[in-house]
Amino acid sequence: MSSSPIVEEAGAVTAPAPAVHTVKTMSFGARLRRDWPLMLMCVPAMLLLAVFHYLPALGNVIAFQDYNPFAGDSPLQAFLSSEWIGFGNFQYLFETTAFWDSVRNTLAITAFQLVFYFPIPILLAMLLNSILSPRLRSFVQSVVYLPHFFSWVLVVSLFQMMLGGSGLIAQTLREAGMTAPDVMTNPDTFMLLITSQAIWKDAGWGMIVFLAALAAVDPSLYEAAAADGAGRWRRMWHITLPGLRPVIVLLLILRLGDALNVGFEQFYLQREAVGRDAAEVLDTYVYYQGIGVQQWGVGAAAGLFKALIGLLLILGANKVAHKLGEQGIYSKS
Amino acid sequence: MTTAAETLKPRRPSLRPVWEEKPTLAGQIGKGAILTLVVLVVVVPLWVVVVTSLSSADTINNAGGYVFLPREFNPSAYVAIFSGGQVTDAILVSTFVTVVGTALSLSVTVLAAYGLSRTGTLLHRPILFYFLLTFLIYPGMIPTYLVVTGLGLKDNLLSLIVPTAVSAFNLVVLRAFFMSIPSELLDSARIDGAGEWRILFQIVLPLSRAVTAVVGLFYAVGYWNSFFNAVLYLDRNDLQPVQRILQQFILAGQAPTNVGSGAVVHIPGLGYVAPPNLAIKMAVVVITLIPALIVYPFVQRHFTKGVIVGAVKG
Amino acid sequence: MGASTSRRNFLGLAGLGATSLAFGCSKKPGSTGSATNAEQAAGVVPTFKESTLVQPDIKGIRPMADGYTKYPTNLVDGITEKAITSGKPVTATTPWWGPVPPSSNKFVEAVSADLGGTITFSIQDGNTYGDKLNAMLGARDVPELLCIPGWEINKLARFNDGVHVLFEDLTPYLAGDKVNAYPLLAGLDTAAWKDSVWGGKLMGVPFPTDSPYPTALFARQDVLDQRGVAAPTSLDAIYEFGKKMTNEAKGEWAFGDIFQEVLQICGNTGSQNGWAKGADGKVFHRYETPEYARAVEFMARIYKEKLIHPELASTKGGDVKTLFKGGKIFMFADGVGGWKEVQRDIVKTVPAFNMQAVKVFGADAGKPPVRWGGTPSIMWTFIKKGVGQARVEELLRVLNYTAAPIGTKEYELQNFGQEGVHFKRDANGAPVTNDLYSKEFANQFIFLGGRPPVVLGGPDIPNYAKDLVTWGNDATQYLEKNPWEGIKVEVPTQQAAIQQPTDDKITDIQRGRRPVSDLPKVVDEWRKGGGDAAREFYAKVLADNGR
Repeated sequence: MSSSPIVEEAGAVTAPAPAVHTVKTMSFGARLRRDWPLMLMCVPAMLLLAVFHYLPALGNVIAFQDYNPFAGDSPLQAFLSSEWIGFGNFQYLFETTAFWDSVRNTLAITAFQLVFYFPIPILLAMLLNSILSPRLRSFVQSVVYLPHFFSWVLVVSLFQMMLGGSGLIAQTLREAGMTAPDVMTNPDTFMLLITSQAIWKDAGWGMIVFLAALAAVDPSLYEAAAADGAGRWRRMWHITLPGLRPVIVLLLILRLGDALNVGFEQFYLQREAVGRDAAEVLDTYVYYQGIGVQQWGVGAAAGLFKALIGLLLILGANKVAHKLGEQGIYSKS
Repeated sequence: MTTAAETLKPRRPSLRPVWEEKPTLAGQIGKGAILTLVVLVVVVPLWVVVVTSLSSADTINNAGGYVFLPREFNPSAYVAIFSGGQVTDAILVSTFVTVVGTALSLSVTVLAAYGLSRTGTLLHRPILFYFLLTFLIYPGMIPTYLVVTGLGLKDNLLSLIVPTAVSAFNLVVLRAFFMSIPSELLDSARIDGAGEWRILFQIVLPLSRAVTAVVGLFYAVGYWNSFFNAVLYLDRNDLQPVQRILQQFILAGQAPTNVGSGAVVHIPGLGYVAPPNLAIKMAVVVITLIPALIVYPFVQRHFTKGVIVGAVKG
Repeated sequence: MGASTSRRNFLGLAGLGATSLAFGCSKKPGSTGSATNAEQAAGVVPTFKESTLVQPDIKGIRPMADGYTKYPTNLVDGITEKAITSGKPVTATTPWWGPVPPSSNKFVEAVSADLGGTITFSIQDGNTYGDKLNAMLGARDVPELLCIPGWEINKLARFNDGVHVLFEDLTPYLAGDKVNAYPLLAGLDTAAWKDSVWGGKLMGVPFPTDSPYPTALFARQDVLDQRGVAAPTSLDAIYEFGKKMTNEAKGEWAFGDIFQEVLQICGNTGSQNGWAKGADGKVFHRYETPEYARAVEFMARIYKEKLIHPELASTKGGDVKTLFKGGKIFMFADGVGGWKEVQRDIVKTVPAFNMQAVKVFGADAGKPPVRWGGTPSIMWTFIKKGVGQARVEELLRVLNYTAAPIGTKEYELQNFGQEGVHFKRDANGAPVTNDLYSKEFANQFIFLGGRPPVVLGGPDIPNYAKDLVTWGNDATQYLEKNPWEGIKVEVPTQQAAIQQPTDDKITDIQRGRRPVSDLPKVVDEWRKGGGDAAREFYAKVLADNGR
């Protein structure tokens, strides 16, 4: 195993090489006999989701209702007795330009963060992986993952403490006789601000799964590559990155499926500071126009809209992944 | 820096492999600079949080909020939090929920992830879609409440576990790792007559210790930090998870604002409340970080290299 | 809507699969608004019987509550019979802002013993109470006694329907002279009782407000005195104050958010979401007045000149009270309840600290301010429906007990606990509470039911009661007359939904992201987006009530 061209070798071991069972030649009974243990293993998780996820998810019928929890003789009856209004809730959402503004903002933030946030945990994991001293490595790892446990209120107020108009930097500048910029209330740089906040809070947390992936890379590959004369950058390109690739692709697709979710609290807190034009995302819009005025059907309709967009994006991204020869989230055929 | 690192106790010292080049000076400096920056960006605010949590009300008021330079060692915030006895009780509740919940979640997730790790098996795609769809469609609060209370789980700690026991995210991550295990390993085991259960427990799981530990961490942190299910399903005041109690300290005395008019509502009784104190808020943050610091080294020790090569050769 | 699913609705359902873009035929969601009838409300409220046992030190001009600078020492027994006679524990849910007290609780035990039975409290975090209530109410899973704050009712879906489905109609028990069976409940303010009528029925026991003002303008009087700066008495003077007190280099800014106060100083209406009736009999909103434009313009000016603390301008999570206590800001608008809370906390370390509500004033010498009035009741306690007549009567006896006024032993027990266990008395006989009290007390019984409101200071804040009642009495002369008073108005969804976008635009103007000259355009958009419809709605409510 530890000889011959490294690139192919790396691909053979670390890139997904699933055992594709021959499908067409086997009868249903034979497949059942072969696969029932695997299917049985899925049952407990499926049951839990059936009871606690899908059963209550039936309540999303209120997306097509003017839901009144007090209609009918029981809370369950209310889901049947509330007035059916067809697509009224969707219409309520879709016909305002403010809704589409919020969708556009959300997608822009997702796109921006895919470029400027998504790679950071990967780079951080690779950097840490290259540290030889285990003590230093554990120390840095434990430190950078801590901000994940901070609430958004705290993160925003810590940013204000450092960068705000009355913050440390501003006051230092003032003492030096300079004018202090206030990045906390500047709508033009808001995208940069929220992305920095997101990186600060969650890059260390996001790094962990990549560290696990790096731990799964066979070290003998590096040794073989080094023996073949590959330098550190080539090794990174040909062994480390391919080792991470399945996870990167998977998380990328999942993030795309979540494209319309960029968080709520972070934007809710800073909305007034930079204004609605910069900070209104889909979730804050739905909060103010749906749930905030007790239009739960509108909230459910927005949820279904997000699901549809998410599904389309996941399917599309998966197709692209297949074209590029990746496993993606589910396989072809 | 060194004191914190020392407490983490690495399992064994690792040296630079013989085949690796000597690091270049520029590389070392660059790496060192980036690492220092990364660590400082996190440690400075952390420092402020800790110092503020140990400051008196007077110091905090004079600073107008966060305190940078320690003036005193005033643990009164911690004393206030722990003196009531509710926090210690709640830690027991949360520990129970986290341990039982993580065990349950990890078991069902590992099983399902392995069950789905081979493409082409019977009903593979429909079952996978069944899990993936949970990403997209969420249940509402009232229907979930009806299901949980309908099963008699109100005021039962299981209500903090079962509604969120399966995370499809964790499932597909685990599955991706399982799928990247070299197939020849599994095939040879199958030829030797090993059943799926044996393959899972004797080959796949030992090879996937790192990711299993990570998914376990994700679940554990989720259980430890969650408090909203407790808001909904626990009426009893003696059965609360620690995050819920800590939230109450954070929010103590914060008069609610009337969202509609922007006016602040006047609550007569609030004059009696222990004042909202930034030190208490920060102490709560510090207390939240402690389990995170304790648990992480246990996860990290599974990030050891070379498990796969050992398996292939053995 | 009930069981009769109409043909049109089936068509709506069928449209689900057929033409997904055929929005034209689907109905918009949301309520169209409702309002109770004031006459009806007046007919079902209990007969008032004032129960002042102790003469107040400063009489409040109603709706300002009376002030007591000395704690009454001659306590009487308000109730002689035990309230709970069945021995069955009462289940109750109340909100609380702070750590939930331990379950084995001497305070609850002591009051329960006096009540004659056990009350099993579920104390819920006030900040997530709205979610909890929505789940409980939506699932129709409520305790025997449920306390719901008024501002949460605004967040509850279809409460006007829910209240009749979930809770007992108290009219047969309390209307008119029937209240005599519960004499202490008769001592609650009539306006608050009128505020407890939904759909012509008396549905809850009110918690009367102790001061009608939603906000006050607070200043650091000690700093003002020290620097020789006078408290402002006109809009221009506020600006001057801001210039004088702001010193960025020292980390000092004059103001927190003061918009709510500036609105009132400029003479804007506000008691009914900004709606009012003009001299010409037409209904208008404050958005449409020059007073409003003036207030927004003023705010834009002080934001532009950076007289408001940047921390408060950059996040909703800003801690205005810490900044005020630390002398980083000197003036802010807050609920009147904040006064006691801040002053009581800070005098522990800064005895000279003097927080004062600025004596109310108008924008110019000849222009009086308008002071908004809040709702007469700020919370309600509801009784679960279907528990049976005997139990309802028993629960009402519990609420009668919790309505005990100042000067009774019951009041003291519910507010301060047991002497020797939770408090000891100072030289003047005023209770001084201890650590056990702080641990066990969560306003349990006070939030359980209303009581005649009082303003009561303490040995640590000797001037508070006098200062607040004097300020409030003075402000009474400017109290806005609300034409919709006594009518419970549920705003149509569409008009509730237009509020936030409009507020957003006005915030943009204040913060300088839009020019002040945009205001007429913003108001115009608001009119078209639902403002005019709201005007018709409010006008109709008035007409229906013959006002």
